[in-house]
Amino acid sequence: MGDSTKSLLQRIIRRIPSRAIESTLRKWGRLTAEQLQSIDFTQPKWTVTQELLDMCEEGNWTLKFITELEMSYIIDNPNQGMWYAYQLMNPEDDANSVELTQFKEQFKSHLKQLVRHISLKMKKHTDEAVWIRIAWGDRFFQPNHMKPTYAVHYLQTPYVFVTSLTSKHKPLFSQAMTLSTRYQAIKDANLSGRNLTAIRDLLMRQFQQAFPTKHPSPLAERNQTVSHPRIEKEQDGNAANRLELACEAFGGGTLPQLQSAVYKLETKFRDQTNKAMTEREESFKCIVKFASTNLLESLRHCASSGFASTPVTPLLSSISLKGKNYFVITDNSPGAASQPRRAQDK
Amino acid sequence: MSLLKPFSKLPGINSANILLVEFEETFQQSLADALVEETAVTVNVRLAKSLPLPKENEENRPRIDLVVFIINLTTELSFQSAEASLKCLDSGFFLGKVCFMVTNARNASVPTERLDSVRKLAASLHCPLLFAEDQTPAGVTNAAERLLTILKVTAGLVPMTTALYLSNLTRCTVPPDIDQPTFD
Repeated sequence: MGDSTKSLLQRIIRRIPSRAIESTLRKWGRLTAEQLQSIDFTQPKWTVTQELLDMCEEGNWTLKFITELEMSYIIDNPNQGMWYAYQLMNPEDDANSVELTQFKEQFKSHLKQLVRHISLKMKKHTDEAVWIRIAWGDRFFQPNHMKPTYAVHYLQTPYVFVTSLTSKHKPLFSQAMTLSTRYQAIKDANLSGRNLTAIRDLLMRQFQQAFPTKHPSPLAERNQTVSHPRIEKEQDGNAANRLELACEAFGGGTLPQLQSAVYKLETKFRDQTNKAMTEREESFKCIVKFASTNLLESLRHCASSGFASTPVTPLLSSISLKGKNYFVITDNSPGAASQPRRAQDK
Repeated sequence: MSLLKPFSKLPGINSANILLVEFEETFQQSLADALVEETAVTVNVRLAKSLPLPKENEENRPRIDLVVFIINLTTELSFQSAEASLKCLDSGFFLGKVCFMVTNARNASVPTERLDSVRKLAASLHCPLLFAEDQTPAGVTNAAERLLTILKVTAGLVPMTTALYLSNLTRCTVPPDIDQPTFD
């Protein structure tokens, strides 16, 4: 029981909005019914914090209790930082049979071998996900609980989602992860976003997809907006067709919320009017970034309303088809010949 | 490319036909709903994204009395599309049967040059330029009323006046100092 426990508690309570404090504490389950009753949640946040700190001192709460509180809050509210997706590669024969306890033990022992001071916490969430909280230390320092790394791994799938992992700790994490899941390698899936469920859905193809068909789809009937007999649309077929193509490219229904898509171009500069640039040997490097609160939705709207030409260029449609939002485009790969597009923010 | 002609068909009895051209296809829908509410005359509304209109509808398309180009100032494409569509209109339409309607003109993010270019376009074609509010229902009904007034004249339903006469009074003019920099 030291100052670090108290400051961590203070820090966590500061992150939780006042209206969510009561429910979070209830969920935590470390407070007795009387203790919960004694706290007046209508008071300002700092008084509540003070009461909790007093309880912490009386009850001699350990660091473990406090990290539990943090973890249960993060599991319920995961959309607070950038999540990066990683993909495990080359499974070994027994990769599919790894179950929770085995994974837990393996991951712990592998990571503890690599780093002496480390604090690990794992919890299985309801939807098959294993949540891992890692507070990193090193040879001389105790684990730093102020900046923990969170990782989410779905057992029996090759996907791991990580937030706030520094480049220093990345190799250690990757090694422990590959070994304990019985894979041979891990790679960056080139997908990141603030919304964990969205990037999970995108990577695991858990959103409503539309597939190209030659038969007229029920879409046309659903989107009949012209109601009055005296209103007539001249180019009616186009709109339905465009919408269908857009849905094929980006998926139908509600789309996962993605915040950005980045294209790194390493292609030759092509412009007939600008000789000096076109004749240069080296490739012209630039980065095109599309940003929006819900990027896929805006791109679909762009395509369906005719702002972007249909059929949608593979550069844009591969965001949802391949589940990536970071692309490097070079001259050799197919699709590189298409011109870089201007960013359209919606 | 087939030109849309104003006088190639016979008019219907007590009816007026309006063609709304809008690239975004959003405001035209609500505007059309407001226009057909009119009871004194039979108003037929045709909606289009851009001109030329498809050939298949040529047969059952009535005589168009008024062509309205709706231009959303927040996007450049909207203006460019309207500009390209103008080429598909017969010159007879420009004797008072075309008008421009601008939306989102109050939006602060719109560059002023864009409105200036729309005004220049309307002035060069001797067409009236209307401003409309597309976000509120009141704005939509207001815009529909103003269009109906013009439409009734261009359809020949108002005695003692013609489209050409009206357009002489209502056409857009460009102030001479439009290209001058302002110092405010």
